[in-house]
Amino acid sequence: MSAARPLTLLIAALGGEGGGVLTNWIVEAAAATGLPVQSTSIPGVAQRTGATTYYIEIWPEPASALGGKRPVLSLVPGVGDVDMVVASELLEAGRVIAQGFVTPERTTIIASTHRIYAIAERMAMGDGRFDIGRLMKAIEEQAESHILFDMEASARGAQSVINAVMLGAIAGAGRLPIAAETFAAAIRAEGKAVEANLRGFAAGLAALQPGAPAPPIAEKRRRPATPSLAELEQAAAETMPEAALEVIREGLRRLAAYQDRRYARLYFDRLAAIREADTEAGAGGAVLRETARHLALRMSFEDVIRVAQAKIDPARFARIRRELRLGADEPLSIVDFYKPGIEELCSILPPLLARPILAWSARRGWLGKVYWGMTVKSNSVLGFLRLKLLASLRPWRPQSHRYREEQAQIEAWLALVAEAARRSASLALEIAECARLIKGYGETHARGLANFRKIETRLIRPALAGRYAAPTAMDAVAAARIAALADPEGERLDRTLAEIEERAPGKLAAE
Amino acid sequence: MERSFKKEIEALKLGEGETFRGEGILAVTKALLQSGVSYVGGYQGAPVSHLLDVLIEAEDIIGELGVHLETCTNEASAAAMLGASINYPLRGAVTWKSIVGTNVASDALSNLASPGVKGGALIIIGEDYGEGASVIQERSHAFAMKSSIWLLDPRPDLSVIVRLVEKGFELSEASHAPVMMELRIRACHVSGEFAAKNNVAPAHSKLNPIAGPPRFEYGRLAHPPATFAQERLKVEERLPAAQAFILAERLNESFPGEIGEIGLIVQGGLYNSLLRALARLGLADAFGATRVPIHVLNVVYPLVPEEVTAFAAGKRAVLVVEEGFPDYIEQQVNVILRRADITTRVFGKGCLPKAGEYNAEAMLGGIAAFLRETRPVGLDADATGAAADRLLGVKRDAAAAVGELPQRPPTFCTGCPERPVFSALKLMQRAIGPTHISADIGCHAFATFAPFSMGNSILGYGMSLASAAAVGPNLDRRPIAVMGDGGFWHNGIVTGVASNLFNKGDGVLVVMQNGYTSATGLQYMPSSAASRSGAAPGMNIEATLRSLGVRWLRKVRTYNVATMLKTLKEAMKTAERGLKVIIADGECQLARQRRLRSEEATKLARGERLVKARYGIDDEICTGDHSCIRLSGCPSLTVKPSPDPLRSDPVASVIESCVGCGLCGEVAHAAVLCPSFYRAETIRNPSRWDRALHRMRRRAIAWLGGAAEAA
Repeated sequence: MSAARPLTLLIAALGGEGGGVLTNWIVEAAAATGLPVQSTSIPGVAQRTGATTYYIEIWPEPASALGGKRPVLSLVPGVGDVDMVVASELLEAGRVIAQGFVTPERTTIIASTHRIYAIAERMAMGDGRFDIGRLMKAIEEQAESHILFDMEASARGAQSVINAVMLGAIAGAGRLPIAAETFAAAIRAEGKAVEANLRGFAAGLAALQPGAPAPPIAEKRRRPATPSLAELEQAAAETMPEAALEVIREGLRRLAAYQDRRYARLYFDRLAAIREADTEAGAGGAVLRETARHLALRMSFEDVIRVAQAKIDPARFARIRRELRLGADEPLSIVDFYKPGIEELCSILPPLLARPILAWSARRGWLGKVYWGMTVKSNSVLGFLRLKLLASLRPWRPQSHRYREEQAQIEAWLALVAEAARRSASLALEIAECARLIKGYGETHARGLANFRKIETRLIRPALAGRYAAPTAMDAVAAARIAALADPEGERLDRTLAEIEERAPGKLAAE
Repeated sequence: MERSFKKEIEALKLGEGETFRGEGILAVTKALLQSGVSYVGGYQGAPVSHLLDVLIEAEDIIGELGVHLETCTNEASAAAMLGASINYPLRGAVTWKSIVGTNVASDALSNLASPGVKGGALIIIGEDYGEGASVIQERSHAFAMKSSIWLLDPRPDLSVIVRLVEKGFELSEASHAPVMMELRIRACHVSGEFAAKNNVAPAHSKLNPIAGPPRFEYGRLAHPPATFAQERLKVEERLPAAQAFILAERLNESFPGEIGEIGLIVQGGLYNSLLRALARLGLADAFGATRVPIHVLNVVYPLVPEEVTAFAAGKRAVLVVEEGFPDYIEQQVNVILRRADITTRVFGKGCLPKAGEYNAEAMLGGIAAFLRETRPVGLDADATGAAADRLLGVKRDAAAAVGELPQRPPTFCTGCPERPVFSALKLMQRAIGPTHISADIGCHAFATFAPFSMGNSILGYGMSLASAAAVGPNLDRRPIAVMGDGGFWHNGIVTGVASNLFNKGDGVLVVMQNGYTSATGLQYMPSSAASRSGAAPGMNIEATLRSLGVRWLRKVRTYNVATMLKTLKEAMKTAERGLKVIIADGECQLARQRRLRSEEATKLARGERLVKARYGIDDEICTGDHSCIRLSGCPSLTVKPSPDPLRSDPVASVIESCVGCGLCGEVAHAAVLCPSFYRAETIRNPSRWDRALHRMRRRAIAWLGGAAEAA
């Protein structure tokens, strides 16, 4: 009995990425080399962007050398029995590993490092993305060897498609007894989009060469320095700890652009109290940094003025043109969707006017029901003018109802952070982080604020009043924050808060 | 259709001396033509859709041979087609996805199997079982047994499959019984080759019609008293005839091995997996040489007692490798051996898993367990067991290293017209409270996955309305049944609509009218705008519903979320009793995009003006709550790291695959989402006026204080 075995390839792809075509190319190339080959797949409904796999077995000796014998090739991959795993996406590479198909003894893994987020990752209310570090570590530990690069970027660069890049990587890996030229010939033999596919193939091959350029990592969009802020930034550099400085500088610039220099000054002054609390708690700037980050975001709250400002920002139009690969001379029409309600209207009115309108609307049950849907062509003359008008209300903002409300909430939150820092730096950090819940517009904003208030009244204030020990309180606040981001209905948060209260020490029957 | 089969059609023309290369289901198609089949029919469904899809495109070949092709409206009509083989010496083949298709076909199958056939009748069933399956996990085997239909399960080698198709017709004719061939998903899609033969024109076809009907013969009817005689015929004549044929033609295969005290009996379809597992344990090689004898059942029903006893005699134990539950073969092997007074022990389920697909792991574990139980001489059972354990341990460790990964279920395509309906349904339930949603088979079943997670029951294709019949009267809110146009014509029109109207029922039915049976690969159906012959079939869902007596009927363009929401609310709240039907109208985006791509390419080539729309999100304005994603789930609406140095949560982002269907804008409005969405319209080959307007805007906006790039 011969101990020879076939070379086995498992391709993990998403429906619609051309995994079937890739499989055909490989089969064609193996056949052209004279090697017995068999492929199969389970496309089914997975054609519709779900995870799907293709499985190929290639006999390493030519059929002509087998003396008329034919190998019986398997239709299913075996755990620990796969020579090469090719994944068109990083999470799918992880899935193949989790299924046991990648082993340190045998498996070369070729995977694209880009992510196509699964629905659970996308729909999370905060950050639901799977830990890439864990995937990378698993690949390094579980595979005999690995080839990782951003195949999607390569495909885009070559104006091709990802399956062609994958074929190039397979050819370049040199694990199969098939010449690169034979793979290219398979693309030609298939006869569809030959030029584009060959470009992708070449890009995949090239990516394996030493010194292939790494694709750029998405940069954060930092604001440039402005002369008017030089003095404030200088003051920050002198008084604020190094750990928080970068965030504070960014915050100052953001708020000056959002409102004015005075507003940036207010930000700076507010941070002074936190800086002291941070120092006292020995937090090494960590509490200050996180508070400064959230404070800048909270102070630049999303009102209609800010939205108008952002929508007519020249940088925005330039960005859209860049994304569409559109020259300055090419016509472009941008349509924005707005649906302001009574709250949005009142947010820019003075409190004296806004409060009675809101109260009256609430009585009539109009809040959250009455909206004005509108579409605005932001780069038409009239559309631009409308937004420009709204944006020009900026100097008026400090007199507005929303501004007053926000500042009161911000002060209250800052007081909580400062007070907590006196007990524990970690608790202060957790409380500061709760500001993350308050974001967005309309209903999202209302929901986030309500969640924050729930945590504040049922957990933070009792904790600061001494009902919970600092470590308990810290864990509880973190748990509540995570719960608040678990479901939009707030079911998990209610459950978590109830559990925390249930376990609270000194819970008295009289309470 | 979703793809073109030009290359595959060429393979169908191959003749003697040439080699066919292609996938399993196409080999079957070629084998049908080589067998002189007179008629072919079926209902599409993975994994056998390609059989029909290819023949539809191969009209010239089948026309030349005189083969009649029918794309049936459901499996029952396909099964009933085989009625032509009851009276006439016509070979016929039909195909569908099983178990579900066989369920639908079962009435006709029973009434076919009882009188039996003159011409060979072959049913190709795609056994949608195990990984990648989309239906309930049951065995078609039961149908074969109860109706005395013989069941082939060829080993997944194209030449074996092709031989079994050809022999299947002969078996059918020799025993006067219909024959089924089950092919698992991977076998349908397996690539391979076989030596082709010439296609055979059937003796009788439209090119050479039979003269007149046969003389009246009561025995050909599945009607008493003939049925009583037919029952006896099945057992006393057809079964022995079939067993004799199987034996004589050696349809099953036995591979000897040196360790003769044990043996393996395996369903043909599982042979390759079994052999690989043996090879990995050092008990076989890749060319089929095995140390343990194997009996391969290419015919899994009926078993041939002589064959089974011959294989098992002298063995201490055999392992029956039989996928799925109940263990019909294992039971029969036991009975055959006991009746022959052979004491060989029979192992099966227990060593192997009781349920679920027999993948590589199941095979390894099963063989190791069997060897540990039997401890044959000349083999270290503990060592093979340890080897199997080691291999299986790999998976445990790997899974722990990676952790629990987010699932990636299939979903609506980018721009799918059905997604907006579920956005509206979600908003409707948010406004008036949750209600029972009766789901159905089709693309719309993807709404059972996140972010919609909708649907309380699925009872089968076209069954959503019928399955809500007793829900409505017992629930304080109207149930909503969702059905595709495919499901409507498949049987929803009768089982659902007619039954509801007949019983003066209430409730809401949403019919997704996308113009194709999309989930199976974009086949035409009765209300499609075209057919395989070109012209529209001319059947119309709206007119049909009206003629049936539906009074409350609205047709809403699916992308119009606000109108859909309003209509749904109205249907839920109206005091008017009776069935309320909403036709959700929107062409399948896969089909539409394919058409648009070629149309647009032509326009661009001609230099004509073309407006393209795409959606986008201002990442400066998005705060990363992702409500929009929870209301859509569109593959092109995803997340990316926030460019804001102060924000950690990722922001929503529309990627290049966006087809500009408009849902993002609609949802942003209907659900009062954030103002970050925008639609960007670009003009290819702009007119002079477009350019002038553009220039004017740039100047005006620059004058208004914006930068010139603004416009």
